[in-house]
Amino acid sequence: MTVLSPDATTPVEIRKKGGERLTIRWADGHESVYLARALRGRCPCAQCVSETTGARLVAEGHVRPDVAIAAARPIGNYALHFDWSDGHTTGIYGFDYLRRICPCAACAGADA
Amino acid sequence: MSAVTIREPQVLDALRSVMDPDLHRDIVSLGFIRNLVIEGDVVSFDVNLTTPACPVKDRLREQSRQAVLQGVPGVRDVRVTMTAEVRRPQAPDTSALKTVRNIVAVGSGKGGVGKSTVAANIAVGLARTGARVGLLDADIYGPSIPILMRAGRPAEPREHGIEPGEAYGVKLMSMGYLTPGDQPLIWRGPMAHKALQQSLLGVNWGELDYLIVDLPPGTGDVHLTLVQTVPVTGAVIVSTPQDVGLQISMKTLRMFQQTKVPVLGIVENMSTYVCPHCGGRDDLFGHGGARDAATSLGVPFLGEIPLDAAIRRYSDDGRPVILAEPESPSGAAFGAITGRLAQQVSIQAFKHIALTIVEE
Ligand SMILES: Nc1ncnc2c1ncn2[C@@H]1O[C@H](COP(=O)(O)OP(=O)(O)OP(=O)(O)O)[C@@H](O)[C@H]1O
Ligand SMILES: [Mg+2]
Ligand SMILES: [Zn+2]
Ligand SMILES: [Zn+2]
Repeated sequence: MTVLSPDATTPVEIRKKGGERLTIRWADGHESVYLARALRGRCPCAQCVSETTGARLVAEGHVRPDVAIAAARPIGNYALHFDWSDGHTTGIYGFDYLRRICPCAACAGADA
Repeated sequence: MSAVTIREPQVLDALRSVMDPDLHRDIVSLGFIRNLVIEGDVVSFDVNLTTPACPVKDRLREQSRQAVLQGVPGVRDVRVTMTAEVRRPQAPDTSALKTVRNIVAVGSGKGGVGKSTVAANIAVGLARTGARVGLLDADIYGPSIPILMRAGRPAEPREHGIEPGEAYGVKLMSMGYLTPGDQPLIWRGPMAHKALQQSLLGVNWGELDYLIVDLPPGTGDVHLTLVQTVPVTGAVIVSTPQDVGLQISMKTLRMFQQTKVPVLGIVENMSTYVCPHCGGRDDLFGHGGARDAATSLGVPFLGEIPLDAAIRRYSDDGRPVILAEPESPSGAAFGAITGRLAQQVSIQAFKHIALTIVEE
């Protein structure tokens, strides 16, 4: 895993379009656009990723296609918390993690 | 018709063999079993999971069914209904802290380096400049702020939260106040977690420019709770000139960096020895280590405080030296540090983009 610079993991702007899309602009100028279902499918919580094996238990294919962000709020300075329309609320997405899962073509595959 | 009577404890005992694979506990002790009904030789119940998206739902259903069928004599049929209720994570209501502009954590790698002394003097120093200041003692292992500030217990919690105490123009709260009586209490993680949340969010802080939080030494649960509960403006790290202290401080520094809490600066305490008779200085441990470390880490150096018996004396007396003797070398050192800290907080407030999620 490559080490990300502080600027790469510091958000300067967070925008949300309804429940369907979240956009983060980072201090290094990069912009990440996350679609709701893909983001729900990468929830890092213990219900979605096995604590013992690290295997993903709930992936994008397991969640309803129309899943939406019901609410989003920052946790301290370092993470975002989502309430999902399917009732899931236990995931806390650190900004480091969010940057690592940026789905853009330039980042995809760089750190899977 | 079966002749045996099936009893609820038998069913529950049988179900105890079914484990939730993620929570590593049996589904009975997890409280998942609801609406257990025994009608003759038919047993029915709900298994209430923590998420409807549970990927092992079908497996748990079958395991529960088999456990009762095979584990309880006389059962002919088992009807399992899978339900789900998402348990809320602690998502504290931070609205109470909307009136607090800046939260500054004071931490150190090891104990006894003067963290509480620095926190109290900074708080009083800021208040002396006219700022509205609160001081929260989050050191459950050895609360000392009430002594340092000679403050009594605050009023009992009222319907609308705890009224903080006050001394020298500083609003005070100690997690020690939430300890019942004088009985020694072993604070386990979850209790400390709750007590800190209550101290932050359940206290009527009112309008504050600065809330100084005196953390326990080292890195641990309390730090994590703090950064997860409220947006921390920044942290001050207190260390002593001895190398060991500095080494440990690095761990504290990294912890703050990992949780995106800006480090406002390092304070070197017990730096030089000031002779009480002539005012002459002597480097007892060879000072300057913290300054060098700060420089190499790119972290502001806030200043050094001499090793001075007066600091201890005034502290023991419940009057921080910055108040008792502001013009003395120690009082002046704290004054300078307070000024530099306020400056760093302003820089952060300027740099810090209030993390809000805007609707587009
Ligand atoms: N610069 C100083 N000169 C002399 N005595 C000092 C100085 N700084 C702190 N002390 C004394 O050292 C002792 C420890 O200080 P303090 O309680 O502030 O440390 P702490 O880091 O908060 O400790 P703990 O880890 O127990 O919370 C106290 O008796 C205090 O009065
Ligand atoms: Mg202390
Ligand atoms: Zn999850
Ligand atoms: Zn990208």
